[in-house]
Amino acid sequence: MHGRVKVKTTAEQQEAKRKEREKKLKIYTAATEKIFEKRKNKEYDEEALKITGEILAVNSDFSTFWNYRKEIFLNMTENKPENEMIEIFKGELQFLESCLRTNPKSYGVWNHRCFIMETMPKPDWKKELELCNLFLEYDERNFHCWDYRRFVVKKANISPEEELEFTTNKICNNFSNFSSWHYRSKLLPLIYPDENSTIGVEENILIKEYETVQNAFFTDPDDQSAWFYHRWLLGRGKIKTGVNCMLIDRTYQMLMINTTQPVMISPSTCEIDVLLNGERVEGTWRTHKQQTDVYSSIWIFKSTEDESWIPMHEDAEVAMAVVGEDWGSSDSVQINSTQTVAWNLTHEEQGLRFRDELSAATTDTLQRELDSIQELYELEPENKWVLLTIVSLMKALNPKQYANDIEIFLSKLITIDSSRINYYWDLRSKCLIENYLEELDFSTRVISLQNQNISCLVHPELFSMVVKIDLSNNKLDSVKGFSCFQCAVDIHVDGNQIKDLEELSFLHGLKLLSIKDNNISSLESLQPLGKTSILKLYLFGNPVVENIDELEVKKIIPSLHNFDGHMM
Amino acid sequence: MGTPIKDVVISDSAPKSLLLDKHADYIAAYGSKKDDYEYIMTEFLRMSGMYWGLTAMDLMSQLERMNKDEVIEFIQQCQHECGGFGASIGHDPHLLYTLSAVQILTLYDSQQSVNIDKIVEYITSLQQDDGSFYGDKWGEVDTRFSFCAVACLALINQLDTINVDKAVQFVLSCMNFDGGFGCRPGSESHSGQIYCCVGMLAIVGRLHLINTDMLGWWLCERQLPSGGLNGRPEKLPDVCYSWWVLSSLKIIGKLHWINKDKLVKFILACQDDETGGFADRPGDMVDPFHTLFGLAGLSLLGDESIKQVNPVFCMPEEVIRRAGIKMDLL
Repeated sequence: MHGRVKVKTTAEQQEAKRKEREKKLKIYTAATEKIFEKRKNKEYDEEALKITGEILAVNSDFSTFWNYRKEIFLNMTENKPENEMIEIFKGELQFLESCLRTNPKSYGVWNHRCFIMETMPKPDWKKELELCNLFLEYDERNFHCWDYRRFVVKKANISPEEELEFTTNKICNNFSNFSSWHYRSKLLPLIYPDENSTIGVEENILIKEYETVQNAFFTDPDDQSAWFYHRWLLGRGKIKTGVNCMLIDRTYQMLMINTTQPVMISPSTCEIDVLLNGERVEGTWRTHKQQTDVYSSIWIFKSTEDESWIPMHEDAEVAMAVVGEDWGSSDSVQINSTQTVAWNLTHEEQGLRFRDELSAATTDTLQRELDSIQELYELEPENKWVLLTIVSLMKALNPKQYANDIEIFLSKLITIDSSRINYYWDLRSKCLIENYLEELDFSTRVISLQNQNISCLVHPELFSMVVKIDLSNNKLDSVKGFSCFQCAVDIHVDGNQIKDLEELSFLHGLKLLSIKDNNISSLESLQPLGKTSILKLYLFGNPVVENIDELEVKKIIPSLHNFDGHMM
Repeated sequence: MGTPIKDVVISDSAPKSLLLDKHADYIAAYGSKKDDYEYIMTEFLRMSGMYWGLTAMDLMSQLERMNKDEVIEFIQQCQHECGGFGASIGHDPHLLYTLSAVQILTLYDSQQSVNIDKIVEYITSLQQDDGSFYGDKWGEVDTRFSFCAVACLALINQLDTINVDKAVQFVLSCMNFDGGFGCRPGSESHSGQIYCCVGMLAIVGRLHLINTDMLGWWLCERQLPSGGLNGRPEKLPDVCYSWWVLSSLKIIGKLHWINKDKLVKFILACQDDETGGFADRPGDMVDPFHTLFGLAGLSLLGDESIKQVNPVFCMPEEVIRRAGIKMDLL
């Protein structure tokens, strides 16, 4: 029940209403009973149309009665001459239009109209398009009508070009029309397809769209439709699936791969052959969370034939080849006799990781966009859409160069849009981490991101080969994503707001965890560490430490040797 | 030409605390007034109405006040020869009501009281070559039905009976420029539809296909100054949309992107402190539908006087666990 205001009524009014409803109910119940009876007797006549019509006019979601009406029409079509049927069908269209006038958002009515149009002889699709125009005038956001329009357009063979023009006119009439912008996003890739462009639309068209949408938000900077559309134009292209990093580790006798997109490695979907010095090795793939049959960006291979399949003290080559999938052809890693670990960082050849390479024309357009929106910012310094769009443009153009500006604009957003503070904090963290990772030399296997007010960890899968991680003095409230730190030996997360350690149970090589000054409040929270072979734990400054019994800690984490600086 | 924000104002007299007992009484009474006008006029969706009421009662730990035997008997009578369920006795079968029936049976741990094999037969018969699902034999296609089919099969542990990859492909073909989803390919994003598609992808373990940054942003922008959430840009806030947006955010791991305190305040203000129950907006008429989504929303927002709700199935988490369903949310 939507939008029905509760009205205070007197006892007298209530009694009158009750009586009136009682009367209505009697008629309603008698009619529904009669309909069910007639349907049972397979009566497909005018009377059935009349009574179901009366009920559906007041209760248009009664789908069983629409179904009965469909049966009636199918039956009549078989038994009546076409001329007569055309009139009956026309009558039905009129009836449906009257239903729509009282209830323009009824799934049942629109759906029945589709059925009638598809069933009737010589349907007049042009007239249907006019009906859509009419109902979109009443309410330009009625998504049922938009959907019906798309159905009609297909049947009437109306070109996407004509429809694009329709949206242009709608938008010119009223920029604040999310439905029309949406429709444009669907039509443009049909009319001007370009698979190589970021959003699947030819670049020169894309550049024109920037102008159209700029007109819209300059006219009404508070209208969100245009800003959402702008964000889409700025979108990234599809990221190709491939292998980021391939690592072999003698200690754990594992091969680990990190893919650019989550993949599922399983005998039924995608198999990967593993070869040691050219010889196939039988084994199983599991994710970093020990799962199978799921999509993940980190997969670990272990041999089922030989626990120590990567030979000690001799040079070796491990190669992998993806079978039956279009991503990542083959990669290999060489390990010499003295190494315990070796890797192959294929992504380093792939250029920008977190944004698309822009053409000169697009760069030029975006730069001019940025300049004019900054002018708008002068006029509208408190407009959050303006601020956020500036950030998005800077991010697309050159996140490193604009890092300081992005920081300033995001701080401002945090102060003016109080409902979405955490969205902006997370976006800020994303910018920071991406800038950091873009410049990181992964072969050092160290990540050091302290004192940055980071609120969430993005791209944790890229941390999979890192040995030492320092995320101290940030704003993290959980260890979400930490299960990706498959090579981690030392983790420092002092001075955050972490409450649980759940994902740490998957870190088999973890030796030191420093988690001072966080929000760990119970001994049970330490249980995930019991599944690791951790030696040193720094827990000082957490609520749980107040009256902690070291023996209890040792019971939960048997491997522990050193707790808060004391030998155990 | 400024665009005024459509929103509501919450009056000072609006309820500020959760009136659990009143809500339980309201739902319990609703089902017992079978000759009531509202009750009869909504017979066409009875099965879903029962799911809303019974789940609300279970979330309030008061399911035992309802007549289980009567409910099960009713559900049995609604199953058709084809395996699907109608909204009420004699009403035509449809995926919408088949899901509601299976949800109620799962709440009561009574799946065995109907013919499960027939349900599987019914659902699989409705999948089309493009992966989509018809709602019933008449052929309406909608991503809501993709959710119904997959959720139903997950609850009865028969997901492998349909072509999951194709079902996923169809749902993805309904994805839009804003990261959201619509009814069919080409349809505008709508948070009810987003809930269905995100939920569907969660059940089949394909959440990585969602652009969570884009969708999460669009979803958190549904929060209005009153604290309530709307279903699409430039629309009024509503308790049911609050649930659909909130549960979608929860599933993609971005619940913290909205202001929880403000939303709690809005949902509480939609209670009727005379009759019990929740309305769509403060001051409107209450109904079981908004009562369930009000309670479920508060549960997701951390209200511990309500049982923990599962964001995908909108049923108590303990029931989903008992049914042996495992899902990785983001």
